[in-house]
Amino acid sequence: MGKDANLTCRLCGHEHRPVRLAPGERALCARCGTVMATEGRFGPDAALAFSITGLILALPAALLPFVIAGKLGDERVCRLFTGVGALWRNGMRALAVVVFVCGALLPVALLGAMALLQFPTRLKWRAPNIPFLPRAVHILEHWAFPEVQVLAVLVALMKLGDLVDITIGPGFWCYCAMAACLVLAQRSFDLELGDAAPVPSRTAAAP
Amino acid sequence: MNLRLSPVRFKSNSTAAALAVAAAVMLVPANLLPVLSTETSGYNRSDTIFSGTVELWRQGLWAIAAIVFTASICIPAVKLAGLGWLLLSVRNGGPRDSRRLTRTFAVLDFVGRWSMLDVFLAAFLTGLVQFGEISSVQARSGIVAFAAAVVLTVLATHAFDPRVLWPKPAKVSPNPCQP
Repeated sequence: MGKDANLTCRLCGHEHRPVRLAPGERALCARCGTVMATEGRFGPDAALAFSITGLILALPAALLPFVIAGKLGDERVCRLFTGVGALWRNGMRALAVVVFVCGALLPVALLGAMALLQFPTRLKWRAPNIPFLPRAVHILEHWAFPEVQVLAVLVALMKLGDLVDITIGPGFWCYCAMAACLVLAQRSFDLELGDAAPVPSRTAAAP
Repeated sequence: MNLRLSPVRFKSNSTAAALAVAAAVMLVPANLLPVLSTETSGYNRSDTIFSGTVELWRQGLWAIAAIVFTASICIPAVKLAGLGWLLLSVRNGGPRDSRRLTRTFAVLDFVGRWSMLDVFLAAFLTGLVQFGEISSVQARSGIVAFAAAVVLTVLATHAFDPRVLWPKPAKVSPNPCQP
């Protein structure tokens, strides 16, 4: 889609012409008031940088210990997928799949999809012809919940209280950083760049 | 995130309604069946979502109890009520405050994901607290029903197209607002 094409509000369907936005400025739909575009404060490369950083952090988040629990000399190391494995072994396989998909697989897939859309444009390469990718990003963001998992772990640690001795591991911090990168990448991401030529000052959504 | 969408393509509101009803049905076992059982030194305790929240409150963890109550009880109920209101508004036709309804949909779309908190919580505790008879936590069937209800509410929100709240797609606007 060329950069001069009209943009449609995702909520009310109202079409707008493109406008230029200054850093930190937002474009709102003239009809329903939905935020249609935001010119990020971190510059045009921010989304790609956050996406790649998030992808890099995903590996230690998956491999390093999340939390180490101790009880009467016994110690148990919990990693990102330990809970998924426990649910799977308990016969709650559908639940294990939901937790794995929403908490680990889709956040990484979303970061990868955003990086894939931004990478060629930012490096002035030929953009890949993957027509479903922009819509895939839109769908993935409805199902990737890493920030909810971060809150759940914090609530769990508070809930455990004196039941067990808890030590937070580096895997949890990497996961938190990955979740933060995903949120920042989403806020900086502009699908318009997916197939447009690099532009010095981005044209923002709406009209 | 900015997204160019294809021309208005009305989704099926009957699908959204069916998914919302299914979610409401799943919320019944989700709230009646135990979601977690805890065994500590031979003492066994099973908690539903509500009793777990009350227990957190009794332990003095008020902030945590409020978070769990909001995420696991309030949000699913509010989301289903909001979806019902939107669907009824579309069905009844006539004049309506489309802007307000669209804002409502945006809020419902945003808050829905936080209901997954209890699901992640149960998965994490089940994986972490496994010390045999000394102390162990097990997920129970209620959490499966609750996860199904959350997934169904997300699907219902996704199936609902807020563009039907507006009379018809408008012509190209001169400019968007830039606050």
